[in-house]
Amino acid sequence: MTPRQDDYEDRDPGLARERTSLAWMRTALSFAAVAGVVLKKGDVIAGLIIMSAVPVIWELGRLAYRHQGRLKLVTAMIVAVSLVALAVALTP
Amino acid sequence: MTDAKPQESADEAGQADEGTEPDPRFTFANERTFLAWSRTALALVVAGLGVVQLLPPFPGVPWGRHVLGVPLIVFGAIVAVVAYGEWVRSQRAMRLGRPLPRSVMPRLLTAVITVIGVIAAVVVLVSALR
Repeated sequence: MTPRQDDYEDRDPGLARERTSLAWMRTALSFAAVAGVVLKKGDVIAGLIIMSAVPVIWELGRLAYRHQGRLKLVTAMIVAVSLVALAVALTP
Repeated sequence: MTDAKPQESADEAGQADEGTEPDPRFTFANERTFLAWSRTALALVVAGLGVVQLLPPFPGVPWGRHVLGVPLIVFGAIVAVVAYGEWVRSQRAMRLGRPLPRSVMPRLLTAVITVIGVIAAVVVLVSALR
């Protein structure tokens, strides 16, 4: 029983890798929440654009943490989503 | 996105040669903190959109929903950018073995939510008095 768990802990101390992977998934789902609100308003194109960020974020989470520019890309995507949201909010 | 020096490229700010690679667990923890702030940023955007698009208009205060929602959306973008800056600073501090810098985010978030709350109270009051 315990040896199997020990093996897993050896490969991923503190389960840091797994917890980080789950955090990436939660972040991807947060983009889906924004897309859902935009779709609810009836703005299908803007909603689908934001929804397309979901698989991108999901996959970014699977890259090794050493890949450069990953977090910068997430930041840029959130800023872009905010701009789309602002446009949607200011459209009567 | 090139990964020429896999052992030394964790710091995306171009300080890859500075200091030594921290324990991967710390790098992961820093990354999770950044992601948590990113979700906070997206939650602010959702809240702002929800106020503007899904709430019924405040009677007598036609600008009420926009004055609450638009700042929330703008602040969402600001939180995302500041979170990235703090991730870079923390990663650099860990590489150099220095104490972690203090985060401005909790204070910033508290201040903005307080201001939005006060504005919301004013909008509701003005709407009720008209």
